[in-house]
Amino acid sequence: MQIRKLLRIARWEVTKNAGGVDRRTVAVVVAAIALLALVAPLVAAGGVGVDSGLYRVGVDESSPYYDVVRQDDTFVVTGPDATAYDDGDLELLITGERIRVQPTTKGEAAHDELRSSVQQYNDEQLKLEANQSAAFPVSVALEFRSQTGLGDRLRIDQDGGEATETDGAGGDDGGAAGETDDGAAGEADGGENASRSVDPDTESGGVGGLGGLGGPLGNEGVSGSPSDIDPPFPFESLVLAFVFVIPMNFVIQAYGSTILSERINRRGELLLVSPVSRLDIIGGKTLPYFLGAMAIEGAIAVGLIYTVDGTVGGLVSILAMTPLVLLFLGATFLGAMFARSFKELTFVTVTITVVLTSYAFVPAIFTDVGAIALISPLTIVVRNLQNEGVTLGEFAFSTLPPMLSAIVFFGLGSGLYREEDMFDQRSIRGRVLDALAGPISRPYHVGVMTAVLIPFVFVLELLAVASLFALGEISIVLILVVVAVLEELAKSLHIYAAYEHRTFEARRKVALVLGAISGVGFFLGEKLALLAQLVGLPELAIGEAALQGAVFTGPILVLFLLAPLALHVTTAAISAVGAGRGKRSYILGVGIAILVHLGYNLAVVTAVA
Amino acid sequence: MRDPRSWSRVTIGKRELSALSREKTIVLAILIQLFIAAFSSFLVVGLTSLYDPGAVEEGEIEVGVTGEQQNRLVEAAQTEGVGTVRFQGRADATAAFEDGDIDAVLVATGEQAEQGRVIQVDAIVPSEDLRTTLIVVQVRSVLTELERTERLARSEFLEQPPVAVPSSTDGSPFFGFTYTILLPLLLFLPAFISGSIVVDSITEEIERGTLELLRAAPLSLTDIVDGKAGAMILLAPLQAMLWLGLLRLNGIGINHALPLLVVVTAIATITVVLGIVLALVTARRRQAQLLYSILALLLFGTAALLPEHPASTIALLAVDSTTPGTFAHVAGITVFAVVVLAVVRRYVTGLDPESL
Repeated sequence: MQIRKLLRIARWEVTKNAGGVDRRTVAVVVAAIALLALVAPLVAAGGVGVDSGLYRVGVDESSPYYDVVRQDDTFVVTGPDATAYDDGDLELLITGERIRVQPTTKGEAAHDELRSSVQQYNDEQLKLEANQSAAFPVSVALEFRSQTGLGDRLRIDQDGGEATETDGAGGDDGGAAGETDDGAAGEADGGENASRSVDPDTESGGVGGLGGLGGPLGNEGVSGSPSDIDPPFPFESLVLAFVFVIPMNFVIQAYGSTILSERINRRGELLLVSPVSRLDIIGGKTLPYFLGAMAIEGAIAVGLIYTVDGTVGGLVSILAMTPLVLLFLGATFLGAMFARSFKELTFVTVTITVVLTSYAFVPAIFTDVGAIALISPLTIVVRNLQNEGVTLGEFAFSTLPPMLSAIVFFGLGSGLYREEDMFDQRSIRGRVLDALAGPISRPYHVGVMTAVLIPFVFVLELLAVASLFALGEISIVLILVVVAVLEELAKSLHIYAAYEHRTFEARRKVALVLGAISGVGFFLGEKLALLAQLVGLPELAIGEAALQGAVFTGPILVLFLLAPLALHVTTAAISAVGAGRGKRSYILGVGIAILVHLGYNLAVVTAVA
Repeated sequence: MRDPRSWSRVTIGKRELSALSREKTIVLAILIQLFIAAFSSFLVVGLTSLYDPGAVEEGEIEVGVTGEQQNRLVEAAQTEGVGTVRFQGRADATAAFEDGDIDAVLVATGEQAEQGRVIQVDAIVPSEDLRTTLIVVQVRSVLTELERTERLARSEFLEQPPVAVPSSTDGSPFFGFTYTILLPLLLFLPAFISGSIVVDSITEEIERGTLELLRAAPLSLTDIVDGKAGAMILLAPLQAMLWLGLLRLNGIGINHALPLLVVVTAIATITVVLGIVLALVTARRRQAQLLYSILALLLFGTAALLPEHPASTIALLAVDSTTPGTFAHVAGITVFAVVVLAVVRRYVTGLDPESL
């Protein structure tokens, strides 16, 4: 690789982009974004009100509920028309104090909405009362404190010191959350005397049955009247995820197009025959998009930190976003190498966006469960925003798997970046197999390939852990299923690909050797992944189940080290034998391997528990 | 006899659809939509369950109460069905909490405020536990109940008595979400994807140079664009029908299915028209796709300036809370779609194909 050549290709990529037609594109994009920025406050100020007018209520003006339903946009208010109610054209009919509710799900939902609306109305009215101690006779100071003792149920133990006692001093992000609160995010200024603080810009809102979306991002205490208490809700993480991920969507669209258009009409051949290596080409084509994306993400991170803290900072956030940006680009690069047409590329990019957004977002929901949250690099950003420290181990746990996966994606994609693969029209499935079989020419390559695929398996397993762990008991079984499927595929797919390419002889003995190599490769790679233990994910029963990183001491240690090795070798051999005999027997072989793996995992989990 | 030109358009349309099914990408598209639907439902159902413990039957929580006003707390907790354990003093309760024997601690004391006495409650809840949300919600319900009874006792000091709160029912907390978020999402996505496919389809013909070949056939550029657009516009309501059917199977009543499909078709027409214009003007996928996604986003955002956002229109139609305004919006969107389609067809007819 030569830096000079790489930079020249990067410069071409940029100048080709900014010349002629593209200046117009840039202008339109800028104008559109400016318009969006103009529209956004307008929309926000007007209240998006997706649920406005959802329920119809008939009420007479003398009823105490009249003012209540009038101030809630969710209701359409008409007169108390009994016939309309009987015809099912009204969900609620209120005469005086009496409320009649249609016996339908919609009627019940309307009744629930009325209930929360009344509570909110009362709070608003009571704030105007002269005698505040009669209006708010109960004052609450809520404090979050860690429980050290383990109960008899699955409890998540956190080793970090960040979630201990809090002093009840919140209020710094109350303003940001205020807009969507329906329960008044009145965070008091000082916890100790719990004086009532009134948040004037409280407005009704919330989405459908969701109610208040506000709530403290971290663990700061809250005080005020009982209705001021909001359970923690990861609203900020959601907004953050979208703020960071949406720009990436545009970047990968442009990037994917660039890569794929090289493959159209053999355009890329000119560069391929020039005296530059393909890594120069790929690097040069990627660099502008990487830098552009990093500039955008960096600007967002610094801007966010500036608005929250008023200081310039965010280096940690930028570092944490780097692997995510690379993962987006890497996945898109590989996708663009796989796709046959623009249409196919569109679907591939949408899939990438959806999967990676959930990867970034789902774990970040659980900001209060340290180990799970750290799966997503966004958590580092959140902590950075909150001025909380991140240990090196946590940083590595959060960023290494996506980083390594991005490298694997680029590696597999660049294996296809050659004349014979770029310009032919194979199906996605065929190309996946090409990409996997490409680097394999000797038996030991199989083991290396298995190890290389491990970060990828890891990312997916972590995603599964994050999305499933909230389901309770059943989640352990579900995660074990996901783990078995992923690991068996990772150990055998490239063996199957190699057989398809007739790299190896289809004899049983060869297949067994290949399977054994793959199993050993996986075992060794997995042991590197003990990194996860640095931040204590295995303390979570589920993490243990997924990563099999149970720590044992004493004489059984040897057994528990050898058992997984035996398992991986056996199952990989089963699927390798299947792979040697064609597609159907491969599917059968992998199926059996998955079942064996699942059985083993279940046995281990029940034995340990 | 049919006009042979309309046949050729149908042929183009068929070719588009068969290309989609051959590449099996449409399967991917539907899978993505399913994933998004499942994902957002998971999110909301999961979070709403945490937020509203009534939504799932979760284990009881135990609250330790102490302080001089503890009797009132216990009464309120009994009304709300929350288990309580009394403690002698704050230290005992906190110790029990830290050992994990109880889920929360409530210390109730009387306190002198500016105007009369208030009950001061110090609540301690776990900081790092998935159950935190659940516990906080339960604690809040106890305290709200306490507040309600206290207010009642002091109502004579209030200038205006609070409005009686209706009794709680077991209404589904997901009702609003299903109609206002999930359904519009499911119906908008196919339309957005259709527009995106048109961009791909046209720019690909231009970039690969196959548009020339197509034009060697007895077809005008308008025919080609018509065929491509027609296929994609039809695809959206077909997918929408699939979703409506699936939702109905799940026991979610969908009213006004026909107007809903009209809205989807109209929105798909608008996005497809946007896609056509961008593809023909830029002739490059990279630019066209980038502009398409940004402009589609802008269009969706600015639609909020309408008296009723199209997403609201869809929700109101499906939930059967229509007003004349709702149908006016359906008609308005449809007319707009027809007009932009007509304008763009004129533009395409006047376009010199050699210039592409």
